[in-house]
Amino acid sequence: MVKEKKIRVLVSKVGLDGHDRGIKVVATLLKEAGMEVVYLGMYQTPEGIVRAALDEDVDVIGLSYLSGEHLVFTPKIVAEMKKHEMDDVLLIAGGTFPAEDIPTMEAMGIDKVFRAGSLTDTIVSYIHDHVRR
Amino acid sequence: MPQIEPKEEEDRQEGNWEDYIKAYYEKPVSFKSWSGYDLKKIYTPKDRSAENYQRDIADAGAYPFTRGIHADMFRGRLWTKREVVGIGSPADTHERLLYLSRHGGSGLNTIADVTYEMGLDADHPWAVDEVGLTGVNITSYKDMQTLTRDIPLDRVSWSLITASTAASATMAQYVAVAQDAGYDIRGLRGSIQNDPIHFRYCGFRPACPLDLSIKLGSDVMEYCTRNLPKWYYTTVNMYDLREQGITAPQEVAFGFGIAMCYIDELVRRGLPIDAFAPRFTFYVSCHIDLFEEVAKIRAARRMWARLMKEKYGAKNPRSMQFRFAVHTAGCSLVPQQPFNNMIRVAYEALAAVLGGVQSLHCCSYDEPMCLPTEKAHLQALRTQQILAYETGVTTVADPLGGSYYVESLTDKIEKEALKVMKQVEEVGGMEEAIRTEWLDRQFESEAVTRQKELNTGEKLVVGVNVFTTEQEETTPLGVQRVSANSAKKQAEDVRELKCTRDMNRLTDAIKRLRDDAGEGRNVIPAMVEATRALGTTGELLGTVREVFGYPYDPMETLSSPFNA
Repeated sequence: MVKEKKIRVLVSKVGLDGHDRGIKVVATLLKEAGMEVVYLGMYQTPEGIVRAALDEDVDVIGLSYLSGEHLVFTPKIVAEMKKHEMDDVLLIAGGTFPAEDIPTMEAMGIDKVFRAGSLTDTIVSYIHDHVRR
Repeated sequence: MPQIEPKEEEDRQEGNWEDYIKAYYEKPVSFKSWSGYDLKKIYTPKDRSAENYQRDIADAGAYPFTRGIHADMFRGRLWTKREVVGIGSPADTHERLLYLSRHGGSGLNTIADVTYEMGLDADHPWAVDEVGLTGVNITSYKDMQTLTRDIPLDRVSWSLITASTAASATMAQYVAVAQDAGYDIRGLRGSIQNDPIHFRYCGFRPACPLDLSIKLGSDVMEYCTRNLPKWYYTTVNMYDLREQGITAPQEVAFGFGIAMCYIDELVRRGLPIDAFAPRFTFYVSCHIDLFEEVAKIRAARRMWARLMKEKYGAKNPRSMQFRFAVHTAGCSLVPQQPFNNMIRVAYEALAAVLGGVQSLHCCSYDEPMCLPTEKAHLQALRTQQILAYETGVTTVADPLGGSYYVESLTDKIEKEALKVMKQVEEVGGMEEAIRTEWLDRQFESEAVTRQKELNTGEKLVVGVNVFTTEQEETTPLGVQRVSANSAKKQAEDVRELKCTRDMNRLTDAIKRLRDDAGEGRNVIPAMVEATRALGTTGELLGTVREVFGYPYDPMETLSSPFNA
């Protein structure tokens, strides 16, 4: 029997934002859904996240933003990903954002934004349906 | 007349009668309390047969204070309407304070941003992108002057929400500025959060190593006890712990565990319990289960009274009174159908008031989206005012006391919280539970449980897993943005300040701070002097950190400018 390759996900906080309840829960529940998950922890830089994503050869990067820093760091992360030609890596983000910022974040290059109150099942099925590798 | 969209009209015409009919017959999905306790269909005198009113409940104002800490409760004085403010620069924050003061707020309340809590100056490379996004950064004496400008510090009550070890710098900055403005600090009224131990669980671990948390937290407490007799020197933050997803009894038990770390240290320093305990306060969550939250507060009051009397030998009844502020539960709010948050906050605030709160912050409805807009802030304040002036809930102390249900639930929460405290003892006490990360594991597993309850529908949240609608495209009352220019200007001002201050004076002040820290003296007086010499938050804290063997900079980017 050919073993199906597991989806590999890297999740991370960015900058100084310390709200990590959500991202840890997401990491645990993605694992329970059969994915391989690397949680980088807090105080990560855009460069560090992208380097780790390359090292870990992940299919998905998930960012967690709860301190209003999403519009500052997203373009930096997307630029790093472009630099390394990571077009086939799915980029998702979760946290607290005003509705108005969701199209902005998507225009910046995030494939899908999950606001607080999203059910983890929704995140799991989104990843399954959209993973590109 | 508003135009009805064709789609909407279609919905209205067809209706959804199957669900409608089903809804007619529906029962609640759960007969458990939010924390998971099975509840009976009715509580009766039989449930209270063992009750001893004088011993366990008593009138408000009498030990063990289950019904409230004052005999006349709100008849004597309403709770303090204290909305949290922190946005952009010290000047921006000052402006919002003035706005709320013009609309009936009764207590000032300012919150540090992530950079200030981490102990970083506004010009720190890690800070420049984030200054002002979640609160206010006070880097120097001058920032504190801007924040407090023209406010009568001897007459207002100010709550300074700096929780981390940076609270020591905040206290020094506030004292220095107040003194230099001519105020007698013995008359200053207010509180400082100053609970660095809990703040390691809020993302500030590099700024809050355990030994330094106990040292600096206790230094602030001791300093205030000796010099600011009207000041509440800590607000042990059970609220933030609850936001991790734990239950109501765990909130009380873990909060008390942390509180005892500080109390043990103050006792070790030779302060008699009755000399400081009357100024010990807590920050409590009010979550969405109304009765459970009221019961939790009542249980906490009884437990605290007994703990202080029996464990610490307090004699002064004021030492035994559980004083607390409430923050309505941010984690109960969701961005889906955001106006619903106002209703959630109103119920949570009602729980706080029925529980006999001393000071209240109502979340604004836009809490899960952005910092509060002016309109949202005002609406949150109005929620408090409607409770205070319209509903009549202020007239009678502990109106739910004597309810067979609420008294039984109070006993239940107390019993469960005592069980959790026992668990903490069994792992070696709170400090050990923290060091071994036992406490981290409790938070993590509870948070996963809470999420699963939503996924399976065991708990319902309107707009999340029931009665969902399309995602809104706009935020109804607008979005609060933080001006990038404010942050930039603050960083520039700090750079300017660092080039123009008297370095000889500052170096002397830093040397004294280093000596005091090294020789085990209380560092707050030296911090006050270093603040006056225009030493910054990062410099004050970095100096003490080095003495304790930690990197000068919690982000390990900068090194001390005073070691040359």
